[in-house]
Amino acid sequence: MTTREIMYREAIRDAQREEMLRDPTVFLIGEDLRDPWGGTYKATQNLSTEFGNERVLNTPICEETIIGASLGAALTGLRPVAELMYFDFVMRSMDAVVNQVAKVRYMSGGQVKVPLVIRTQGGGGRSSAAQHGNSLEAWICHVPGLFVAMPSTPYDAKGLLKTAIRMDDPVFFIEHKLLYMTKGPVPDEEYTIPFGVADVKRKGDDVTIVATSRMVLFALEAAAELEKEGISAEVIDPRTLVPLDEATILESVHKTNRLVVVNEGVERCGWAAEVAALVQKKGFGDLDAPIERVCTRNVPLPFQPDLENYVLPSVADIVRAAKYTLGKVE
Amino acid sequence: MTPETILDAETKTLWLDMFRKLVRIRHFERSAFELYTAGKLPGFMHISIGQEATAVGACSALRPDDYMTSTHRGHGDTIAKGVSVEGAMAELFGRVTGVCRAKGGSMHIADFSQNVLGANGIVAAGAPIAVGAGLSAKKRGTDQVVLCFFGDGALASGPIHESMNCAALWKLPVIFLRQNNQYAESTPRTDYQGIPDVVEWAKGYGISAVRVDGNDVLAVYRAVKEAAARARRGEGPSFIESETYRWYGHNIGDPGTWRPKEEIQAWKAKDPIPRFRKVILENGAATDADLDAIEAEEEARLQAAIEAAEAAPKPKPGTALEDVYVDPDLGAQAIQGVRP
Ligand SMILES: Cc1ncc(C[n+]2csc(CCOP(=O)(O)OP(=O)(O)O)c2C)c(N)n1
Ligand SMILES: [Mg+2]
Repeated sequence: MTTREIMYREAIRDAQREEMLRDPTVFLIGEDLRDPWGGTYKATQNLSTEFGNERVLNTPICEETIIGASLGAALTGLRPVAELMYFDFVMRSMDAVVNQVAKVRYMSGGQVKVPLVIRTQGGGGRSSAAQHGNSLEAWICHVPGLFVAMPSTPYDAKGLLKTAIRMDDPVFFIEHKLLYMTKGPVPDEEYTIPFGVADVKRKGDDVTIVATSRMVLFALEAAAELEKEGISAEVIDPRTLVPLDEATILESVHKTNRLVVVNEGVERCGWAAEVAALVQKKGFGDLDAPIERVCTRNVPLPFQPDLENYVLPSVADIVRAAKYTLGKVE
Repeated sequence: MTPETILDAETKTLWLDMFRKLVRIRHFERSAFELYTAGKLPGFMHISIGQEATAVGACSALRPDDYMTSTHRGHGDTIAKGVSVEGAMAELFGRVTGVCRAKGGSMHIADFSQNVLGANGIVAAGAPIAVGAGLSAKKRGTDQVVLCFFGDGALASGPIHESMNCAALWKLPVIFLRQNNQYAESTPRTDYQGIPDVVEWAKGYGISAVRVDGNDVLAVYRAVKEAAARARRGEGPSFIESETYRWYGHNIGDPGTWRPKEEIQAWKAKDPIPRFRKVILENGAATDADLDAIEAEEEARLQAAIEAAEAAPKPKPGTALEDVYVDPDLGAQAIQGVRP
């Protein structure tokens, strides 16, 4: 199989392009998607040039209508892929996301399918301050009726997005602003990745680190640090948060007996707590230490870089947490 | 204004103050642009060079105790309303001396001592806040007014419409001022707005509405002055469409070159600062030398502000946990986490 190195944002773009070629009912809708702008993070670059302005629809600044209208289109025979420029602006569309998109199938007694993908990007690390750096994955996971993907590599991003576009249920697809320029190998041949299947990004025996999105990169760095100290860490990327591949996580903990969960949302009521709850229930007998969580501190994101770094999870925090589970921190 | 107009002392003072503020903002943003490009300022930055007359004309028509809300492109608006260049520059640098103690940055400049209720990272989010401040002024029985700045693209957002309706319904002292710089990020009007004439649109809410040349500081001043007077008389909200242009891209990093060259040139030729200088000179309100001296003073003040900001300490990382709550004990309890 031949592969090419491409950027994450190209993977997102290519997935949309391939699905638009494959299925004429797929269309893109969102703010500033068209060329020459091509999306604020360039994830739709060249698509309006190739497919025309009707299939790559620029909207006014109206997030609730973007999602509500996407739902209307999804209910009536189309397959929209909506982009909300920042996770922070998803808040403007929360009624559409939570009360409409996620529930219409259920409320109608299963009458309809909702083939709708909502793409957005979140995350800090760019001093974008309190209204442009939120990681609100827990909010979305909390809503029954949505599937949630949060890929960390170009390969996963492309394969999962293609799957998402073909699914008949609404998918909330979370990208990260600091992953768009990262590169990775992607096969030339067509492929898709199923939801609910984690990927073990690094094998290890002493401690399991479950991480999402950009935090997978941090976890891998942490694992390399730990290796220098003779600690072998296994890094698991669930890739989809809903549904969650419980088996892969539980098997790993069965082997390592220790767990660190890392995600970029704030700690309180966060996604890591959900994983911790799962493992203490189903893997209680396997645990040799309390489960550690490494998340963003319970404050809004500050602007200044030192403050921001203090608040966000760091590689050092993950290393420390892993050593903590091994009793190696005084 | 005709050359024969005889200016009273008050008008002269006002004009020179407005000239000073135009220059202050222009210098501030030129420097911010350069410092950002040199990698000295973190975060995202939106520059309003070209739009200064709208910010200055509008804020100069207010009293110090009037309120103002602004946008992500808020350097000019906030400085025009009274935020110091020292506090604003230190904020861009992320220093403890910043007006928001390095917590907010470029998009979130707020100064409650100047009744600047905040720039805002969320498009149209200032409008409901402006309505609330107007409601408050009315309930408290003051004659304060609220100036709500927003962009042309923001007019497509729900909160602006809900706010205009509520302000009209409750006859609130709110001035909705649309800074029409012709684009919303990359999107021109024809892609975000079905009807060309927003003045007629605003009138549909029962709001008195006018269009002004946003690069004519005196025209903006007069429009806001009139709107404020009406608001103080209890006659409710106004809408002002101020036509202007941002010379640069949406944010620093976007060269903005996707716009027609001739369009950018045509607007640069309408630069509000030389234009007002000419009016001042023609009316004998000051000499060239007077105005040059103002420019030099502002430049010196700004350079000092930059040096002071660079020299000021960065915040200690742990202070990231301050300013979340007022209540110290409950706040500490709420912030506490389990990260080892
Ligand atoms: C609710 C929301 N949606 C989208 C954005 C992203 N965004 C920031 S500025 C902007 C364009 C705003 O255009 P306009 O109102 O004309 O103001 P300008 O940037 O031209 O000053 C957009 C889409 C945002 N900040 N908030
Ligand atoms: Mg605009």
